[in-house]
Amino acid sequence: MDPLRAQQLAAELEVEMMADMYNRMTQACHRKCVPPFYKESELSKGECVCLDRCVAKYLEVHERMGKKLTELSLQDEELLKRMQQGSGTA
Amino acid sequence: PQLHPPLGPGCWQSPGLLLLQHLVGDKRQPRVWDPATLGGIPCPPKSEEQKMVERVMESCPFKAALACVGGFVLGGAFGIFTAGIDTNVGFDPKDPYRTPTAKEVLKDMGQRGISYAKNFAIVGAMFSCTECMVESYRGKSDWKNSVISGCITGGAIGFRAGLKAGVIGCGGFAAFSAAVDYYLR
Repeated sequence: MDPLRAQQLAAELEVEMMADMYNRMTQACHRKCVPPFYKESELSKGECVCLDRCVAKYLEVHERMGKKLTELSLQDEELLKRMQQGSGTA
Repeated sequence: PQLHPPLGPGCWQSPGLLLLQHLVGDKRQPRVWDPATLGGIPCPPKSEEQKMVERVMESCPFKAALACVGGFVLGGAFGIFTAGIDTNVGFDPKDPYRTPTAKEVLKDMGQRGISYAKNFAIVGAMFSCTECMVESYRGKSDWKNSVISGCITGGAIGFRAGLKAGVIGCGGFAAFSAAVDYYLR
């Protein structure tokens, strides 16, 4: 697969991935930060602060997991190549 | 032994790894976050001015200043009211049997009003400031915030008269603010 084709495919997948991540993030942060006592419609200061922190943590987790996943995939790939070459020469 | 070629831009990479790098790795493009396309309910984005005004109105110093001004007004009214029902207003220590003039009475009432106003303003500002900071730290908004900040404020006020007065002030003010919170919620 050439890099251009991969980039196009990744762009399509990214839209889906971002939408899914946004929905999950709003659900998780709402569950954690906004208790179901709806006495007033405005978000209080504590809830706003909690939501800011929740979103920042969620995005940071997403980024770190992505980096770790690519790192592990690279390692797997190197191992696979070495095995293929080993079996090729043998 | 044959060394394997380095994993560089020239050699073949599996499609999965390439996709991963484009999605979450080094090759990803700058992203545009738009809640309307991502699945949220579309609404017009907030202007920078609106965001700044909201940020100022929610900030701790603004809330403390608001409580200070409100406390000043309330304390002034309370002080003048108590001076109105007090029989000792305008009392002249040098000549106790003389009826005080209207000007003296008004001046005394004003002084008492100002003194009450200053006290209320300081207490209100302290309470509001500590409550805002506690709420920012905890990230929740429930009854414990006002109890904790009431204890801190009462303790700080009473601490000047000794440790025991500080503890009593803490407990008293915490109970008072818990009662007010219970009534308001």
